Amino acid sequence: MDGSTPHCDHTTGCVTCGDEATEMTVLDLDPERGLALCTDAEGARSSVETALVEPVAAGERLLVHAGTAIGRAAPREAAA
Amino acid sequence: MRFVEEFRDADLGRVLAGEILAAADPARHYKLMEVCGGHTHSIYKYGIDDLLPENVELVHGPGCPVCVIPMGRVDDGIAVARHEEVIFTCFGDMMRVPGSEQSLLEAKAEGADVRMVYSPLDALRLAKANPDREVVFFAIGFETTAPSTALTLKRARAEGVENFSCICNHVTIVPPLRALLDSPDLRLDGFVGPGHVCTVVGARPFEFIPADYGKPVVISGFEPLDVLQSVLMILDQLRDERRAVENQYTRVVPYEGNLRALEVMAEVFELRPHFEWRGLGFISQSALKLSEAYADLDAERRFATPGVRVADPKACQCGEVLKGVIKPWECKVFGTACTPEHAIGTCMVSPEGACAAYYNYGRFARQREVA
Repeated sequence: MDGSTPHCDHTTGCVTCGDEATEMTVLDLDPERGLALCTDAEGARSSVETALVEPVAAGERLLVHAGTAIGRAAPREAAA
Repeated sequence: MRFVEEFRDADLGRVLAGEILAAADPARHYKLMEVCGGHTHSIYKYGIDDLLPENVELVHGPGCPVCVIPMGRVDDGIAVARHEEVIFTCFGDMMRVPGSEQSLLEAKAEGADVRMVYSPLDALRLAKANPDREVVFFAIGFETTAPSTALTLKRARAEGVENFSCICNHVTIVPPLRALLDSPDLRLDGFVGPGHVCTVVGARPFEFIPADYGKPVVISGFEPLDVLQSVLMILDQLRDERRAVENQYTRVVPYEGNLRALEVMAEVFELRPHFEWRGLGFISQSALKLSEAYADLDAERRFATPGVRVADPKACQCGEVLKGVIKPWECKVFGTACTPEHAIGTCMVSPEGACAAYYNYGRFARQREVA
């Protein structure tokens, strides 16, 4: 919870309440628990549930909301 | 800020604004609804409406989950939070939403153990760490958030965590849109569709809008260029007399959505026959509750809740704001009795709420305009 709490600060606004997801990049995998360590554009890291987008690999970009990956984001080259 | 800079390029924004000006018929007034609160926030934060011609108006929709929760549900949450054995968990903005007498934050100040979490999984971790307490998660959100709650309940079941339960307030986006389209006091020309909801549900659930109501829908990303391009795509459809669901946000949204997420939601949730929306009233099949298979994890069954409907404060015009009938600054209490520090209505609570977004960003532009 420690790393992710600042994202849900009621003084600056809660991204989860806003129903807005965040694009994150997978750094490492914990297949046993179905989690991935991810980082967002500003370098903040958090553990993400990956059950809905398996299989995932390090370096892939995911759309993450409320600690759960709900989709995949296209690689940067494809998006630009 | 890698990956997002290219979607915030001011020069490209001005090019798109020029194309929008060219695509808009000067003899016509366009009223486009951005469904999602995330879009409302972007529009005010980046001044997107200032880039649009005067005859292209963006109106705000009901897509802020905090804004649409009725007071009675907050009261239900507070009643559960007051149980001595309960650790009550919810997302950040939800803590400040006013109930009929107080907010969850005020209940916490009076001694209730209310804790903010970022994810339902954090609430489940709390339950495992506090086996002698009952941990209740107050779930809110559209289809973007519902899969996360569903997965957490599945995990609780699989791991045998018996001291965890959930008050489910998840809502679905299509029924309120249909209610708005059927509303006689609102004329809309098209919709900027909710990009992240569509990541889960896909584009198909919105096909009824062009098919039955003859309005374009463009599913949009949340960066300034995403929103501008979506407005242009809507105007192009109107000019060319086409009506369709188009996907501007292809870098994220697959047309069919996330089938695995939909399966998990179908297993854990079922539709409520009806649910009350702040300002919009009762809407049939517009919210989710736990399915019979997960009834033992339903906090509404585990604890007695008042379940009383509470009318909105008379001064509050959140209903009209949520329907796009009035702009935030046209509300009688906007910026005076109702501010983000002391919100009367829900639209002033979350930064994605139209009133808070306008209060934080848009009012400065309007002050300049008036001066």
